[in-house]
Amino acid sequence: MEIAEFSQITPKNFIEIGYTSLKDVVDLNLSRAMTVPGLDGGDFADEIELNATIGNNFLKPITLLNPGEEVPVFGVDVSNIDLGETKEGFLCAIRGSIVWRENKTYKYVRHGPFIFHVTEANKHFLYNALRQRCFDVNEGVGAPIMERIPEHIRNILERWLQKQLSESRRESLLLWDGSMTTRTVNNPISILSRLLKRARDARNVILALSKKTSISAFGRRMDSLLDSGNAPCLLDIDDVVRVQYGKYLRFFGKIYAVKLSPGNLSFRLDIDRQVPQEAGIQAVENLLCSDLIVDSYPETLRLAHIMSRFSANEVIAMQRFVAENYGLKIVQRPNIRQILFGPYTGIRSKRS
Amino acid sequence: MVKAMMHIYKLDGNTMDIVSCPPQGVQKGDYIIVRDDALNRSLIVQVTNIGYANIPGVLEDILRDSSTKNMDGQNLDFLGVKAFVDVIKDARVFRCKIRKAIVNGRIDHDISWTPSRSTSQLINLTDREFLELIGLHGENTITLGTTKGGAEVTVNLAAIDGKLNIITGKKGTGKSHLSKLLLLSLIEKGGICVVFDVNGEYINLGYGADYKKATPHEKIIVLSPGKRFKVTLEYMGLGVFLRIMSSVLDLPDNSAWEIRRIWSSLSQRNTLTLKNLRKAVDSVLNNYVRDALIRRIDSLVSTGLLTDNLQEASTLEDLIFGLNNGGALIINLRGLPTRFCHIVVEFMLSKLCNLLERWVLRALFLFAEEAHLYLRKTYWEDIVTRMRHLGLFSTFITNQPDSISDGIYRQADNVFLFNFTNENDLAAVSKATMVDVETINVIARELPPHYCLALGRVTNDFPIIIEVKALNVKTMGETRLFFTNAYKQKI
Repeated sequence: MEIAEFSQITPKNFIEIGYTSLKDVVDLNLSRAMTVPGLDGGDFADEIELNATIGNNFLKPITLLNPGEEVPVFGVDVSNIDLGETKEGFLCAIRGSIVWRENKTYKYVRHGPFIFHVTEANKHFLYNALRQRCFDVNEGVGAPIMERIPEHIRNILERWLQKQLSESRRESLLLWDGSMTTRTVNNPISILSRLLKRARDARNVILALSKKTSISAFGRRMDSLLDSGNAPCLLDIDDVVRVQYGKYLRFFGKIYAVKLSPGNLSFRLDIDRQVPQEAGIQAVENLLCSDLIVDSYPETLRLAHIMSRFSANEVIAMQRFVAENYGLKIVQRPNIRQILFGPYTGIRSKRS
Repeated sequence: MVKAMMHIYKLDGNTMDIVSCPPQGVQKGDYIIVRDDALNRSLIVQVTNIGYANIPGVLEDILRDSSTKNMDGQNLDFLGVKAFVDVIKDARVFRCKIRKAIVNGRIDHDISWTPSRSTSQLINLTDREFLELIGLHGENTITLGTTKGGAEVTVNLAAIDGKLNIITGKKGTGKSHLSKLLLLSLIEKGGICVVFDVNGEYINLGYGADYKKATPHEKIIVLSPGKRFKVTLEYMGLGVFLRIMSSVLDLPDNSAWEIRRIWSSLSQRNTLTLKNLRKAVDSVLNNYVRDALIRRIDSLVSTGLLTDNLQEASTLEDLIFGLNNGGALIINLRGLPTRFCHIVVEFMLSKLCNLLERWVLRALFLFAEEAHLYLRKTYWEDIVTRMRHLGLFSTFITNQPDSISDGIYRQADNVFLFNFTNENDLAAVSKATMVDVETINVIARELPPHYCLALGRVTNDFPIIIEVKALNVKTMGETRLFFTNAYKQKI
């Protein structure tokens, strides 16, 4: 796999739509007419945090004993950041990266940053244009609230990169940061399910590792469910979680708790439900001999995260970029909470 | 004037921090104008140190770059944001010292006001603009060299005339070169100079680099005490003689009284010669006094400075009057025993002061290299106070800044500071000169050879970095080497 192969995959839609949002602030006011009522389909919603409680104490861990086979491993991660508010809305940037390990060396391609000017007037255009052009869907959907747009755009980029990998790679391990769960049970055209199918068709296996899920049994956290002595091991918690959340969520992956190396840390692991369980376990065993595992986490994903993350320095640079190229200035809006509550403002929860 | 992307960041006392992004081509020692149009005033600040701006996230960037350094990869930065990131990363903070202000187009000393951080305009001055602004030019000037930017630095003679100058810096940085430049410039303008030349560096100033006679040849008189420069006892005079006997040769008071008596007696009879003096001393009754006097007179005679032969005796007046329209007496102290050096210097200073007191001489410039080697401690203050008022204007040249007392530094009008790297040397200079410690510590440490930081009246109290101009005379300042090309060819 050469870097050039990935570098030729250009997310043109992100460049063009981002450019439009920065350039044509006024024109985009026209797009108010395009607003489609209804809620987002859920494909690009932020990762869902589960708080499952395991009542069955007889779950037995699956110890990963078999030596795996070395296969190419690909990790994808994306990040977004707010650049500040403008008179019309706010600016945000997203960036994604693909890191892969092949023949014991790591390589990467970093896409972005892509900068968007999100306004109340253009949020429907932004969301639907990206969604439609990146995933060949025709129907329009209602965009999420403006403050949530950056995460949704980020997730579109993430899915797009995942799609490129699923379609271009064969017989590889594809690591996702997150899960295989969507909010809407009855979504007829799930982009996620299409991604998984394409990966299966190319004999790829997708492993989604989530850092957010909180699962406990008899008051014990997931970390304590898996004994370090058994590592590397899996714990099949699919039934338990589905019993509790099955009514509200759609699980495309079979859910495990996984401890890839001895230590305190465990993660939620989703493996495509359509992949036989033995093949899924074999994929995890392949991961163990194909990638470095540090703190129970694959190095490719860790590097993908590092590569995509924005630093404060880059934020200042992007603010300067939009100011110089598009004349957009960051404005300081009065802090309503500060005005109302003064020193009793308290600590605000992070938006993302 | 270049309008730059610079902004005031901090102001603390007379220290101003200026942020520059993208970084301007500003160097340490450069000047920036901070113009507050609302107040119709400007501050003239000098960059004394340059560092990177402390931007959040830079460490994160560096760590990320280092963790992916060994990875093959490509950044598809479609918008070209990387160039902006690089600019931000390279943003500089200029630590500046406020030197003076400009009010109504004139240099003003009141720097107690504060310019606006948000509306002030910051302008990077070119060297030429700066020199024009501070008005170093005049009718009677000498050229010291050029600034780093290549602008010629000419200073007014009035800033050197009647002033105390110190030239200091570590070995091999160009102190003597500047001293010779000053000397030759003063001579050219008609000044009379006296040089205490401990290393024999000045004796060939009358010759060009090609060993042919150069322009100042007729104006340079080299005096070799004890060889071609001798004086009579009568010319030396009782006062100078007694001072040498007591201060240099440690003659006890009672013996001094006896020699005074003998001197007066011989003088009254008009028979004051070395021979007669020695004979008279031989007849002193007190053994202790006689022995003390004999030892010291023999010591003085052995130097060869004194003579009874009027044909070979000289007078300073004659020598100096021979220097029409300027010139220099080079007192070659090279190779002389320490005590002899002390005797010569004592004689010269006493006689020169005497000539100045009597208005035989109007004024003269004294150049003293490594003066601590031959100048009595008590003489230092005498030189910078009493003798200065008489018209003896000194320039001290030393590579040991702590050999000059703080008191002398404080009275110095001009300091030419060459490179120092030793902490103790920097501390010695910085605690006593007329500029802040930070300027000395940062700028002096980084001066290349032949560059000096000029401080004081010579630059209207604006510290300026000057590359001292080359001389086309035989300067002889180079250290003698064993392994030369000639040696190599020989073997």
